Amino acid sequence: MSLNRRAFLQGATGLTFLVGATGVTAVHAAGSDTPLDVNMWLTIYPDGTITVIHPSTEMGQSSYSTLPQILAEELDAAWEDVEIEQLNADDRRFGNQLFGGVLYTAGSTGTQFYFDPMRRAGAQARNVLLQIAARAWGLEPSSLRTEPSRVLGPDGQSARYGDLAALGADGLTVPDAAAVPLKDPAAFRIIGHDLPRRDVPAKSTGQAVYAIDVDVPGMAYAAVLRAPVEDEIPLGVEDAAARETPGVIDIVTLPDGVAVVATSLWAALGARGLLEVTWSETSPFRASNSADTLAEYAAAANAPDAAGAVWAEKGDAPGAIAAATTQFSQLYLSDYAYHAQIEPMAAVADVDADGQGAEVWAGTQTQSWTIRTVAETLGIPTQNVRLNMMTMGGGFGRRTALMQNYVRDAVLCSQAVGRPVKVIWPREDDVRQGTFRPAAAQKIEAGLTSDGKLDGWYHKVATPAVIAFFNPLRWAAAQPNDVISMRGAESKFYDIKDFRADHIITERHARLSPYRGIGASYTAFAAEAFMDELAERAGRDPLDFRLDLVQDNPRGRHLLETVADMSDWRNRSGRALGLSFAGYSSSMAAGVAEVAVDPARGEIQVTKFWAAIDAGLIVAPDNARNQIEGGIAFGISMALSEKIDIEHGEVVQENFYDYEITRAFQMPALEIYIAEVDAPPVGVGEVGTPMVPSAIANAFYAAHGKRLRHMPFTPDRVTEALGT
Amino acid sequence: MTQFTLNGRPVEVDNAPDEMLLLVLRDTLKLKGTKYGCGAAMCGACTVHVDGVASFSCQMSVGDVEGSEVTTIEGLSQDGLHPVQQAWIDEQVAQCGYCQSGQIMRAAALLADNPNPTRAEIVDEMSANLCRCGTYARIIKAVERAAAEV
Repeated sequence: MSLNRRAFLQGATGLTFLVGATGVTAVHAAGSDTPLDVNMWLTIYPDGTITVIHPSTEMGQSSYSTLPQILAEELDAAWEDVEIEQLNADDRRFGNQLFGGVLYTAGSTGTQFYFDPMRRAGAQARNVLLQIAARAWGLEPSSLRTEPSRVLGPDGQSARYGDLAALGADGLTVPDAAAVPLKDPAAFRIIGHDLPRRDVPAKSTGQAVYAIDVDVPGMAYAAVLRAPVEDEIPLGVEDAAARETPGVIDIVTLPDGVAVVATSLWAALGARGLLEVTWSETSPFRASNSADTLAEYAAAANAPDAAGAVWAEKGDAPGAIAAATTQFSQLYLSDYAYHAQIEPMAAVADVDADGQGAEVWAGTQTQSWTIRTVAETLGIPTQNVRLNMMTMGGGFGRRTALMQNYVRDAVLCSQAVGRPVKVIWPREDDVRQGTFRPAAAQKIEAGLTSDGKLDGWYHKVATPAVIAFFNPLRWAAAQPNDVISMRGAESKFYDIKDFRADHIITERHARLSPYRGIGASYTAFAAEAFMDELAERAGRDPLDFRLDLVQDNPRGRHLLETVADMSDWRNRSGRALGLSFAGYSSSMAAGVAEVAVDPARGEIQVTKFWAAIDAGLIVAPDNARNQIEGGIAFGISMALSEKIDIEHGEVVQENFYDYEITRAFQMPALEIYIAEVDAPPVGVGEVGTPMVPSAIANAFYAAHGKRLRHMPFTPDRVTEALGT
Repeated sequence: MTQFTLNGRPVEVDNAPDEMLLLVLRDTLKLKGTKYGCGAAMCGACTVHVDGVASFSCQMSVGDVEGSEVTTIEGLSQDGLHPVQQAWIDEQVAQCGYCQSGQIMRAAALLADNPNPTRAEIVDEMSANLCRCGTYARIIKAVERAAAEV
């Protein structure tokens, strides 16, 4: 169905339903060819088609399939009858309450948040269909049952959902969403069963359309020469040669760049090379050098009296450590990292002739902030923005910012030339104008008892506040708590009596954003590498030392014991194995890496990785496995090679030849166990990643007796550690 | 004016002969299945077949393919069910999917050249293409599955 969902609901408001605090409370008249709108999430058409809203955005995680499957389960719909409708509006009724109701797809929260409301929406609709059938047949609803897309009666009555929808629900009551009965999970036939992803065929035949593929009549292409350093602006533009290039339509000066708009991308790129721009030279970021930055953060973490905003606290960590039999501390470093999503930033904008509205095609992790970007850029109301949310060629946090600047550029170019414009960032722009995982320095202090048990843990993370940069609105509400910078430092899967984690908020010297695993991508590296060092100090096996700390977390204990069995941890003599126990948010992961090291070249190859995962209920098991496999690949990549350098405010790297991500030959054999538990779903998109770097560092130690405390473990750092 | 065969049909384009083949395929001939990823022969998202050889279309000019046979993901099969594509669907390889056209084109060229590759040969060949979602384990399995079915 190409019907615009929002327009339809607006058109129908007051006629077909009333929305209460807990959902729809009444359904009114419907004609024989009128679709049935039991609630805002779905529509059942007389021909049997069922449209279901996808409130998130799709970047590979498969919420496009998984979330509608949750609704279809409780509706008892035949999956092939379901058509998925992408939510393109900033309609906060569909917002993710884990992000204050913003339409925002991040943090592995999609299934976690939407599981309950979409289940209940499906259950409400099924209940109404039962009522329609009961009225038609003169029976009690309780005497009826459903099978996929049909209601069945006790005496062989049978009706398709579409036919029941055509009868209308005039006068029937929609049950309260909070009270509607839900299926017994034992009766699930979609949730927990492997239905194929809806988007895979198109993605296997070249038919999937990404923002970079959008083609609209009269469209021009723009390439932007961007300020080399943050906060610099173009002061003068010499563009005569560029303007003479065949195909060039106009040269448009942007707040932080100069755009060439042309009839082809080829012409735009060629002419861009002919621009001579004089940039301002007053930005303080010109003093930014990543090596100095890391040294500055390390000094902040290392200062004897260092303390910051308390991120998590239990008992008295400093007191316990001071009173412990022995004290131990260590410093861990990590560099800037880049998302490297394979589709570079791209967007198409078509600003209305009167400048009072615009149509935009973009693939982002947020309908809300993308629409806001367009509205703010043009100074128009958000309802005048017509968004087409496209499937993304990877997200990983890159497409989350309050101001989507590539969308802004497309809007400004379209406004200037009076026709639709596609902006594409070539890879070099995507890297050099990147928004990065912050560099971080972490100091962890701990005490040990005389019998080798942990006695106090104090984790200090010196890194900027990421949220303060990528979303100042959110920072105003959240400060000083920055989950993007700090996630994982809470070490919440362990029971540590005296615990504290502080965020030492340092000065920002680069553009920042969330990155896969957010803070846990480096806090879990430090915490679990340090845990291994502590175990050794205590003279304990790394597994036993951790098992002491999960006495009150049986599900976590199960993962550690399982991954130990899988990897034959107790009989690891002669194998270079490293253990880690981390996870993401409420999803837990225990991992064991096996490595082989080439000491002469300083190269680490992960030869095998075992993982045991608990992410609560798993809606789509095969996809969950795919996400975890990919999460481990991402973890290997960040551990071994991913590093952005900045010199005089300019990003040094520019493409995949100097920013290397994991390739097929670097993948280990994978063995993955996913626990089956009776608990709500808590997300699989990032759980595979945070455990990986520490497992590799610990395996490296098992092989060579040297610690790797600076991520990534590049060949120069490996050879330095080995003294080779 | 450049003439070549595209997905089995003769085409003629009047783009400058030095224009990047990838952009001519995508923006002039409107075949969007072939992707831009890096423009530097590093990611393989732009992989097409030129006279049967897996090639980075970002590294070729349209003039380079004068008289050649070019195949893109759209022309790999009539119905989208080339054994490699079917294997990709059966193994549920794709996540974001952006790199998968290039992966499939590289795998198809490999199998056309070497119908029974060893696992090491598959890993070696497929290492030319990046997948940031990290679907490599499934890519390898899908190539093995397709090899068994070809």
